[in-house]
Amino acid sequence: MSGLSVRDLQGWYGESQALHGMNFEVARGEVVTLLGRNGAGKTTTLRAIMGLLRKRSGEVRFGGENLIGRMPEYIARRGIAYCPEERGIFASLTVEENLFLPPVVAEGGMALDDIYTLFPNIAERRNSQGTKLSGGEQQMLAIARILRTGATLLLLDEPTEGLAPVIVQQIGTVIRKLKERGFTVLLVEQNVRFASRLADRHYVVEHGTVIDTLTAADVAGDFERIQNYLKV
Amino acid sequence: MMTLLGISPQLLFGQVLIGLINGVFYAMMSLGVAIIFGMLRIGNFVHGAQYMLGAFGAWYLMHLPDLFPGLGLPSLGYWWALILVPLAVGAIGAIMERLFIRRVYDLEHAYGLLLTVGLAMVIEGLFNVGYGAAGQQYDIPGSLRGGVNLGFMFLPNYRLWVIVAGISVCIATWYTIERTRLGAYLRAATENPDLVRAFGINVPRMLMLTYAFGVGLAGLAGVMAAPIYQVSPQMGQSIIITIFAVVVIGGMGSISGAIFTGLMLGMIEGLTKVFWPQASTTVIFVIMAIVLVFRPAGLFGKETVAAHAADMSTARPDGILENGRLWLVILGIGGAVLPFLVYPVFGMKILCLALFACAYNLIFGYVGLLAFGHAAFYGSSAYVAAYTAASWGFPTELAILSGVAMATLIGALFGWLAIRRQGLYFAMITLALAQLVYFYAIQAPWTHGEDGIQSVPRGYLFGFIDLSQPLNMYYFVLTVFLIGFAAIYRIVRSPFGQVLKSIRENEPRAVSLGYSTDRFKLIAFTLSAMLAGLAGGTKAIVFQIASLADLYFMTSADALLMTLIGGVGTLLGPVVGAVIVVTMQKEFATLGSWVIVVQGSAFVLCVLFLRKGVVGTLEDWLAARAERRRIASGGAPAPVAKGVHS
Repeated sequence: MSGLSVRDLQGWYGESQALHGMNFEVARGEVVTLLGRNGAGKTTTLRAIMGLLRKRSGEVRFGGENLIGRMPEYIARRGIAYCPEERGIFASLTVEENLFLPPVVAEGGMALDDIYTLFPNIAERRNSQGTKLSGGEQQMLAIARILRTGATLLLLDEPTEGLAPVIVQQIGTVIRKLKERGFTVLLVEQNVRFASRLADRHYVVEHGTVIDTLTAADVAGDFERIQNYLKV
Repeated sequence: MMTLLGISPQLLFGQVLIGLINGVFYAMMSLGVAIIFGMLRIGNFVHGAQYMLGAFGAWYLMHLPDLFPGLGLPSLGYWWALILVPLAVGAIGAIMERLFIRRVYDLEHAYGLLLTVGLAMVIEGLFNVGYGAAGQQYDIPGSLRGGVNLGFMFLPNYRLWVIVAGISVCIATWYTIERTRLGAYLRAATENPDLVRAFGINVPRMLMLTYAFGVGLAGLAGVMAAPIYQVSPQMGQSIIITIFAVVVIGGMGSISGAIFTGLMLGMIEGLTKVFWPQASTTVIFVIMAIVLVFRPAGLFGKETVAAHAADMSTARPDGILENGRLWLVILGIGGAVLPFLVYPVFGMKILCLALFACAYNLIFGYVGLLAFGHAAFYGSSAYVAAYTAASWGFPTELAILSGVAMATLIGALFGWLAIRRQGLYFAMITLALAQLVYFYAIQAPWTHGEDGIQSVPRGYLFGFIDLSQPLNMYYFVLTVFLIGFAAIYRIVRSPFGQVLKSIRENEPRAVSLGYSTDRFKLIAFTLSAMLAGLAGGTKAIVFQIASLADLYFMTSADALLMTLIGGVGTLLGPVVGAVIVVTMQKEFATLGSWVIVVQGSAFVLCVLFLRKGVVGTLEDWLAARAERRRIASGGAPAPVAKGVHS
């Protein structure tokens, strides 16, 4: 079964077009990043894949099926899980309720014990109110809760944003472990150093299109090149 | 026999029991309203009608053989009704959600309220056509007849059943929402529906089922109420306003708060009946006012949802239709010739209501506060003007001014209370406060209850212009209208008016610029009440009567409807709306009870299809035409005025 394939994806916020034909591939088991400056259209791309951006056209194929025109709840049940930039921890729910909120969409999700092993902090605070967590813990919880569901493709939107370096390291470790477990990850990032150590491939996004593709080897050989795309 | 503060225990406990029964119904209904409000952000005004549907449903099931004689159907009793009717009412609710309510989720909250007001008018109007004011009898089921003697009082079994069953249902609902997985979905969807959808949960269907459930609770309450109260088309009409007050007192964000507040207020109402019977109809509204002063978020409220001004203005400030000086002249000339085209009385009715709608538009259209109790100002001014003219012999102009003074006073007081909350709460609060005035007028001796104050003399203007002459009266009313119209135009064009508009568009920003927005809102509200009072006082002199209808919430709904049909926040919208609504009422007057159905349908259609109103739509069309011409003559397209926020 193939992974995610995005062809000529266009998207609009009302009248203004935000995505001007995105093209990229994420093979099964890969970790791929979308890199780019603020407002380039990275988050919008994830929202369009997820169906949260309603006005969209082109092709988003996952498991061979085109998901354009589908509702978010349908797309989620095909095995795509989304972790939004703002993390979306529900204030009125406890940590455990947050963790159990996403319904299981397929077999093969991570067991609760494995999740708690991966995120020991979450286990300790399982009965706290969702928003009582620190920023890092909230991010961990936001990732943790989409691992149970059996989804195979994870869309992670800037998981390192605003977090202390030590937490960023932890999240890097988590993503590496997820890759080992066979998850496919599409990662939106601005933190190039963080992304370059994780990803198999990078797509550089600007003005709603992919302007360059770099492999992990490219980045290792010529770090300047990727930094030039992102410097202000 | 022992007495307590001079009151026999039978009376005391009897009233507490009745209060507790009422409280159970308040709790069940405010629970439904609170759930629907919390999850869907809809102020479900049609809840009362759905409660009424429940009671009628039970009655229908009982009378199946009489209703469909040919089909040989059995008569289904209370226990069947208890199961079938809530399901049926819930299903009706689901259909209503699918057809109507779903369409307004993404709009300003005010539209949800307007839509449900319209639906309530249609449903209650239809039942009114079918059954009139008379109530239908529904017998207590045989197995629950009789009662137990507790020594100090006799407790009928049915009432005991209502209390136990009602409270059990409330607790089960609380448990489901606060403690189960399903409840977690609901709470999460309240916070962030998009994300919950992205987890694979069909949120639209969940919202539909939530609405159906809330409505089903109302249906269940209706079935349980059928043997206690008369089954009548009016039974839901006044209870919904009380329920809104209960929700305001309880505060949002707490399911248990809604239940507890409902029960408590029912008992307080019962106790008031013992110690001060006259105040029993108003005590809940008074408590609401007190709670608002000391705990604006409500007794159990944690958060303020839906708490922003409703920017529903459809005006395009530069359009020719917003040029007040021009239109003042045109309306003056048009108004001057009107009595030669239509009956002067008809013309005066339009002018009074147009002024009323303009006054309402000042607060609703220009400040974005969804007031729903302007009948209080219109009606109280009508009563005071009528009373001072009829009983104290005040000259006409002084009588009207007295009315205006009263409306201003009440407006300042209500405004001071209501501006603590915004959005739907503002509507609920103003509605409940207006109901306070209504209940006062039913009971006070000087207002003559159902009769109202009749045969008010029109008198002489300035002592020598005989207002009993129709044309004299007409031109006086026209002058009053033009003065009011000019005043409103002056207000909204002044620097003060600019601040009002900035509050409408973005209150936090107005605050950050250093404006004490509450003071501006209060002044605008008071001015609006004052002008509504001017309309009401004048109306009392024209029609020589002040009656309960002037204070009834339908009058507030009329003001809303006129403004909405015409175009919210436009200069001419309320005037156009008044012409349309008054003409409609006159044309359909022969239909009798159907008028309310027609008016309700107008509400629904306006919310669904004509949100910009007649004038707003016209202004859009004119602006689009001007833009096309400009581009055709080589100009660059203008940037989009109202941008889309991403």
